[in-house]
Amino acid sequence: MPGPAALVPHADPRLPREWLAHETISLIVPVVRRTDDLTAIHDSFAAAVSTVTRRYEFVFVFDGGFGPPPDALLARSREDCRIRILSFAHAFGETAALQAGIAASRGTILLTVPPYFQVQPQGVRQLLDALRDGAEVAVARRSPRRDGWFNRLQSSAFHVLVRGVSGGCFHDMGCGLRVLRREVAESLQLYGDLHRFIPLLALREGYRVAEIPLAQHPADARPRVYQPGIYVRRLLDIMTVFFLAKFTEKPLRFFGLLGSTLLGTGGLITLALLLQRLEGIGIANRPLLLLGVLLLSLGIQLLGLGLVGEIIVYLRAPHRRGYRVRETT
Amino acid sequence: MERPCGDPSGPELSVVIPMYNEAANVAPLVRSICAALVGRVADFELLLVDDGSSDDTWANIRSVATPSRVRGIRLAQNVGQTAAMMAGFDHARGAVVCSLDGDLQNDPRDIPGVLEKLQEGYDVVCGWRQRRKDGLLLRRVPSWCANRLIAWLTGVPVRDNGCSLKAYRRDLLQHLALYADQHRFIPALAASMGARIAEVPVRHHARLFGKSKYGLSRTVKVLVDLITLKMITAFHARPFVGFCVTALVPLGLAASFGLAWLVALMQFGPAKANALVLPGAALLWVGTAFYILMLGLVAHVALHGERETTQGTRSVRELV
Repeated sequence: MPGPAALVPHADPRLPREWLAHETISLIVPVVRRTDDLTAIHDSFAAAVSTVTRRYEFVFVFDGGFGPPPDALLARSREDCRIRILSFAHAFGETAALQAGIAASRGTILLTVPPYFQVQPQGVRQLLDALRDGAEVAVARRSPRRDGWFNRLQSSAFHVLVRGVSGGCFHDMGCGLRVLRREVAESLQLYGDLHRFIPLLALREGYRVAEIPLAQHPADARPRVYQPGIYVRRLLDIMTVFFLAKFTEKPLRFFGLLGSTLLGTGGLITLALLLQRLEGIGIANRPLLLLGVLLLSLGIQLLGLGLVGEIIVYLRAPHRRGYRVRETT
Repeated sequence: MERPCGDPSGPELSVVIPMYNEAANVAPLVRSICAALVGRVADFELLLVDDGSSDDTWANIRSVATPSRVRGIRLAQNVGQTAAMMAGFDHARGAVVCSLDGDLQNDPRDIPGVLEKLQEGYDVVCGWRQRRKDGLLLRRVPSWCANRLIAWLTGVPVRDNGCSLKAYRRDLLQHLALYADQHRFIPALAASMGARIAEVPVRHHARLFGKSKYGLSRTVKVLVDLITLKMITAFHARPFVGFCVTALVPLGLAASFGLAWLVALMQFGPAKANALVLPGAALLWVGTAFYILMLGLVAHVALHGERETTQGTRSVRELV
């Protein structure tokens, strides 16, 4: 997979604000667990965005697990029609909150904003500049980082794993500040916990993605230790992305390879035991027999699963296209 | 898409050419196709599909493109030959669509002959490369084996599935949704939809510019894809039947192991007959058969759900 596309300077570099004249920016804030003062978030990002345009709106999405939106924010939204608040009735997670925010927003440019300070809000301008210069997605990267070795260690371990299984060279997918053109956001199919991989998924769809280094906010430097379950989920996410990248169109290439390896090994073991039996050596009390039989049956099961996957992919084929046209003559 | 598919005012023939890093081949290819077709085909268009090339292919396509006759389509990223061909098919306006390799190894002078064959009442006409100019061990031998295997498995006796020079009727293409390297299996997939298929000998040239994007590494992939192909061509409409038939194999094995155990019981008596291996094997195969049946049910549910969604959209379309 190629890295973030090198940005081609725009043919006629317009003034910093002029290109935004016909665009509206929606700032989507998914509030799930960790938050800083949301009114402060609103203040600082509104200040940062209003240096480039006056056409913007905020969409706060409160996940069900978070509880009711804070009163200060509710009061603001009553006074300012550019603030809208959605609340989930149930805990659906950050990806669902983002999706709901995207669906409710009306802007042509979408800015996802973490509900806590990760980078300096002024960095929004640099992300928008990247969009002006031809990128379709621009994501922030916390650099230079201010936090301690533990945070950096777990972050870099995550990214090394992601790079290992699916290529791409993004350095900070945990950073929630991203700018997307609306059509990109709508064409990406996000579910589960895939929001973290937005730059990777967009790159895979052939969009131009830029990664912009922004200074980390001092408030983000606290050491973070998660529950063990969170780490397991991150690992599962990486496996999902790996499978999505390689085998969504060809499940049998994955299950088939795995299944036939197991089937072959099991077959060899049972064959060897059969030969021994024919020579008169008893096999009834051999644990190897159990292993061989187990592998045989596992192999058949995996192959069968792959075939069912292939049927599902085949049935879906008339509805999806495996390409995206960039331009025609 | 500029115009809807199957435009009645469209040209007689659309030639679809997927290109990936073939910058040097663009201009000569367009020239030779035009030379071969002008005067023989009343009205034709060329669709050059740039499959996310990293070289100057798109710049060269733009420079040869004309509003009516030579059209270029640039894909956002490299998606492979099958998806690139689908992009071309989706944008083609002709009543007949002809696909061609982007590397000048097919000879455009063969197109009229292929079209003639199509007029005899076929839905797909495949080129059959004579005196191939590819490496023997890495290209021709694996290709020969693959073709024999495909013919044997699918019962469609096409001798050269890998030749890109093929002609199709549009109405067939509209039902052919290809994905993931299925371009090799077009004849078999088309035949499973009831298409009539013919083959005509065509010329083959050595590569002049650029280099081949094929290698031996795809052999395993082709083998796996063949299993899929067999399954979907034979059973896509009724997967449960397919899984039931497959389940007969482990069921038969279970029966024979069970029978063997009974024989052993009667011969040696319950005290001496081994109570682990034979009944265990019988149970294992019963379990496997049961598992396969259940998978068949899952496949059936998937098919059923899919049919409901497609029928939903279809009725909406009729309302409009």
